[in-house]
Amino acid sequence: MKMKKAWNKLGKKEKKHLAYTEDMELKSDYKKLETNLEENLKNIQDTLGHSADLVVRIFKIGSMSGRNAAAIFINGLVDKEHVGNFIIDKIMNDNSKLKSSTAGTLFTGIKEQIITVAEVEETQEWKKTIQAVVSGKTILLLDGWDQAMICPLIGGASRAISEPSSEQTIRGPQESFVESLQTNVSLVRRRIKSANLWVESVTIGDITETEVAVMHLEGIANEKVLIELKERLQKVEVDELIGTNTIEEWIRDGPRSVWPTIYNTQRPDVVMGELMEGRIAVLVDGTPNTLILPATFIEFFQTAEDYYMHWSIASFLRILRLVGIASTLLFPSLYIAFLSFHPDLIPTPLLISLTAQRQEVPFPLFIEVLLLELTFEFLREAGLRMPKQVGQAVSIVGALILGEAAVSAGIVASASVIIVAATAIASFTISNHSMIDAVRILRFIIIILASSLGLYGIGLGFIVLIAHMNSLRSFGVPYLSPFAPLIFRDLKDTFIRVSKPSMSTRPRLISQKKVSKAGNTDKLGPPSGRKGGMKENDFQRDPNEN
Amino acid sequence: MEKAKINSIQFFLLLFTFELGTAVVVGHSVVAKKDSWISLLLGMGGGLILFFIYYALFRYYPSLPLTAYARKIFGTYIGWVVGLLYTIFFLYVSARNVREFSEVLVTATMPDIPLFVVAILFVLTICYVLYLGIEVFARTAEILGVFLIFVGIIGNTLVYLTGSVDLNNLKPVLEFGWKPILETAFYSPMFLIFPFGEVFVFAMLFPYLNRADAVKKIGVASLIVSGLILSYTAALNIAVLGVSAVQRSPFPLLSTVGKINFLEFIQRLDALVVITLLITVFFKAGIYLYSAVIGIVDLFRLKNHQQIILPVGLILAFLSVVIAEDFAEHTEEGATVHIVYFATPFLIILPVIMLIIAFIRHRFTK
Repeated sequence: MKMKKAWNKLGKKEKKHLAYTEDMELKSDYKKLETNLEENLKNIQDTLGHSADLVVRIFKIGSMSGRNAAAIFINGLVDKEHVGNFIIDKIMNDNSKLKSSTAGTLFTGIKEQIITVAEVEETQEWKKTIQAVVSGKTILLLDGWDQAMICPLIGGASRAISEPSSEQTIRGPQESFVESLQTNVSLVRRRIKSANLWVESVTIGDITETEVAVMHLEGIANEKVLIELKERLQKVEVDELIGTNTIEEWIRDGPRSVWPTIYNTQRPDVVMGELMEGRIAVLVDGTPNTLILPATFIEFFQTAEDYYMHWSIASFLRILRLVGIASTLLFPSLYIAFLSFHPDLIPTPLLISLTAQRQEVPFPLFIEVLLLELTFEFLREAGLRMPKQVGQAVSIVGALILGEAAVSAGIVASASVIIVAATAIASFTISNHSMIDAVRILRFIIIILASSLGLYGIGLGFIVLIAHMNSLRSFGVPYLSPFAPLIFRDLKDTFIRVSKPSMSTRPRLISQKKVSKAGNTDKLGPPSGRKGGMKENDFQRDPNEN
Repeated sequence: MEKAKINSIQFFLLLFTFELGTAVVVGHSVVAKKDSWISLLLGMGGGLILFFIYYALFRYYPSLPLTAYARKIFGTYIGWVVGLLYTIFFLYVSARNVREFSEVLVTATMPDIPLFVVAILFVLTICYVLYLGIEVFARTAEILGVFLIFVGIIGNTLVYLTGSVDLNNLKPVLEFGWKPILETAFYSPMFLIFPFGEVFVFAMLFPYLNRADAVKKIGVASLIVSGLILSYTAALNIAVLGVSAVQRSPFPLLSTVGKINFLEFIQRLDALVVITLLITVFFKAGIYLYSAVIGIVDLFRLKNHQQIILPVGLILAFLSVVIAEDFAEHTEEGATVHIVYFATPFLIILPVIMLIIAFIRHRFTK
């Protein structure tokens, strides 16, 4: 922070406004709608550049008045059947209720008595009308009246809810978020049937006008975080909002850090759990990814499956994942450090076998490991972007041909291959992608430290890493909490997961208000006295039983 | 002073790692021989008395660091000079710690790397963490302190599993009577000062604690815990290695851990000792450096400690290399010049004088 100020003082740089982040300008600068239908239609056509997908349907209102009306929408964004059934059909045929034929009364008559659309809005403003058309709503214009009716009959093709592509579970729900914001919000709301689930909407992106929803549980989420989030969201100045990462990079803490300070998920049940802990979710239209904040380090190791399994195995897997990340970070560097700096610390039989393997290897250990790590990264990247069928070929070439041949040709030692492979597998235990990416980068830095200073380098690197993580905060919450600052009570859902009945409190730093989860659970332990037909005595053994 | 708060657990772990720093690894030319663990306990007792003197001073000025209340006690000018002397003293002790660490590291694990490289990288790491602030430093202590406890538990378990502990090495207790024990505790190597009296440097940090009433409890607890651990380690070294080997070895703990051989595979765990040393000295030298730096900030009325942490750190790195020709000279200095001319006046005599003056001032101003 201090350094930042010092820099600003030196540079005196003003925040530059790139020309391309200015407000979208319409081709035409009309303010209001005209009364003449034809003029309106022409203006709309002009404004949208006579786009091919713009549909203008002109029709007559019933038989008695000869007035023209027009429905305007964009092909593919609306549900055409609904537009036909509930607007055009009603107005053309079901007009017996319309008495007057002046434009104004006709307009309100149509709105109040004729069309059977659940949600209707009127407007006079030009910009709003155009905005409605491009965001997939249907506009109804009436000849001789300067107002438009906006009917959000949004439809068109979208992906159906499917299984999540990552973060899969066996016993949990199999739903994943999709690209539609409304669907995503409804997926969460279906899970939390509470009036306290509040959804606020913002549009971000000067040109794309993407809708962003902020969800929180009122009374549980920390208000300060909510206010801070809204302030930061207001500062986002972009033309286009593509996915959640744009927002993440704008609003995150520690923007220079590789560690992710905002959690992201595609699973509605995860969002539910996080909301219940007092966190806040940010959903963006057009992406199945959801941001969750504030995030802590340990959160990236909690998977949805943890809560669908027995707590003992869940705890075991948690620890396994933490060992996984530690191995990913340290395995190759420890290998280099021990073998090239401290061979005397390796048990003799192991040392003999390791050196024997490396006898014919022409490279220094550092180069050897680096080559292998790079090859692995090539493989991963190639496998990821290729079509699935080719991906398999890539892995065969990589694993079998390259690995096998390199070892038998004596270019690399098989121990190095084992180390790099083990590291790779360990890295896959982390389910969150942003966390894997952070570790992927850091691994190389630690390898360099290890190959220049041995264990000492790793030790110093490790201290710097811990200190750096300690300096991070995510919306005010220390990144390494509840480890540092240590909060004993919150350790119950970190490297271990205790059984659900014992988890009666929310993380203290996240929702700084309402800590107890259910009103009555001050004491820990299994639920007491059941209210149903079964009394506790029923569990006692029958004395006659053997 | 930064605007920062440290909580009780963090403060405890800072004190704990501080006490163990170098003391747990570096050997002493012990007069008490196999009874040195008793000397350590006695030293701890004396250390507790010293701690109460420091605590009494803190009670008079609960919101001020040492350099600031020195001015209140001695008056602006003399107090300023006293503060400056303390600052220099802290820097010197920090340099001693960095030197000790670098020596152990170079001799034990990497003889090819120059001492200065080790020292400067170490100091730069400390500077980086301190640059991030005392809060980050304390939270780092929280993580690494717990890690340290784990390392300790693992190391101990393995030593016992190896079966190299021979309690007969500790017998007979009090073979030479109390005289050498008392001598070791309160004279020449002086466990009283190293490491217990050194707690006085925390007079610079007490104001950061979020609960002023917890200072006493935390201080006493960490002194006792670390005293017990040090005494236990000394006893363990003797039990495993025997008295003569301990006295010959510059780093007895390294030799003790070197004896570990479990299942013919888990052996040569010197790395564990080096990690212990790295972590503990990191915090010890860091606390000294930080105290020196905020002392300078306070004395020269600078805006924040970030501006000067790097220059002071570089001075520290150079100092650590030039204070002695070699490790033998360094140890010699530690046992004589450092204890007699620096540590005793700064950690015992001056605090007592300050306490008396503070007491008189408060008695007569009321």
